Amino acid sequence: MSDQIVVWLKATALSKMVIGYTWVWPLCETLHFVGLALLLGAAGFFDLRLMGLLRRVSVAAAMQMRVWAAVGVLINLVTGTLFFVGAPDQYITNPSWWAKVACLLVATINVAVFETRYGKELLTLDPDADTPAAYKLAGAVSLMSWLGVLVFGRMLPFIGNAF
Amino acid sequence: MMNLLAALENSSFSVWLRGSPSLFAYPAVLTFHTLGLGVLVGTCMVLDLRILGFASAVPLATFAKSFRVMWLGFWVNALSGALLFAADATTKGTTTVFFAKLGLIVVGVATIPMIRRAIFRNGAGAVTPGARRLAVVSLIVWVAAIAAGRLMAYV
Repeated sequence: MSDQIVVWLKATALSKMVIGYTWVWPLCETLHFVGLALLLGAAGFFDLRLMGLLRRVSVAAAMQMRVWAAVGVLINLVTGTLFFVGAPDQYITNPSWWAKVACLLVATINVAVFETRYGKELLTLDPDADTPAAYKLAGAVSLMSWLGVLVFGRMLPFIGNAF
Repeated sequence: MMNLLAALENSSFSVWLRGSPSLFAYPAVLTFHTLGLGVLVGTCMVLDLRILGFASAVPLATFAKSFRVMWLGFWVNALSGALLFAADATTKGTTTVFFAKLGLIVVGVATIPMIRRAIFRNGAGAVTPGARRLAVVSLIVWVAAIAAGRLMAYV
């Protein structure tokens, strides 16, 4: 199954482009690291507010910063997909990649559940107000799962053998 | 100079760092370097974007303490970077792109206290034209420093 996916992906024009030009990979890596910084900075800011820190910022104001976390995620999903299409074999059998994807999944489910349950209530929280325990948990899960994505991403060449 | 770099690279610490199969050796140092990058550049970018008018509901005063976070990221990376350099001194110490990266970091780090002065000159925190220019410089320089770092790894 995974062999067929690898063979099929590597035959695509996109895969040949990612690997064929020497500048594509470093360019995507650069964008991937810029996305990482944006995501960690902006999501970290919002997560810390959810955890009850940075209280002089209202939660509604901290929400504005989340757009930039989304920009970071978008950049990294696009560049990450290009890495995967370019060299699927070095990821699909790599335990570190699966751990990274699992952390990404936890972060996504966490946001989706939190948004659905507390999305509206969130905006009414007063500036300077402490956050309920559920918010603190969601913020901590978010921060931890993004750190997991970072750590397992960095470990790709060492746990598996990705370049 | 080359002798010095070779001595550094052949020190028992450097040999251990690059040779150890443990994930807590080279891979851990590299992970801290990436984490420090995220903390330093991420915090700088968030402040730069706020200065440039995004997320304007966030009071500038919030960022009074963010400089400590930036310096924390900086020191994590200065230390982890020094270790990574020691492990590979003769190559890194003779590569133009490494010195380009260092130069960009010097400029990026120099903008931190300049931005702080520019926005907190009057106490409470206000965006000035000078702060906007510095924010643009900061964003460009950090992206360029990341690009230089990635070029070291892949070219």
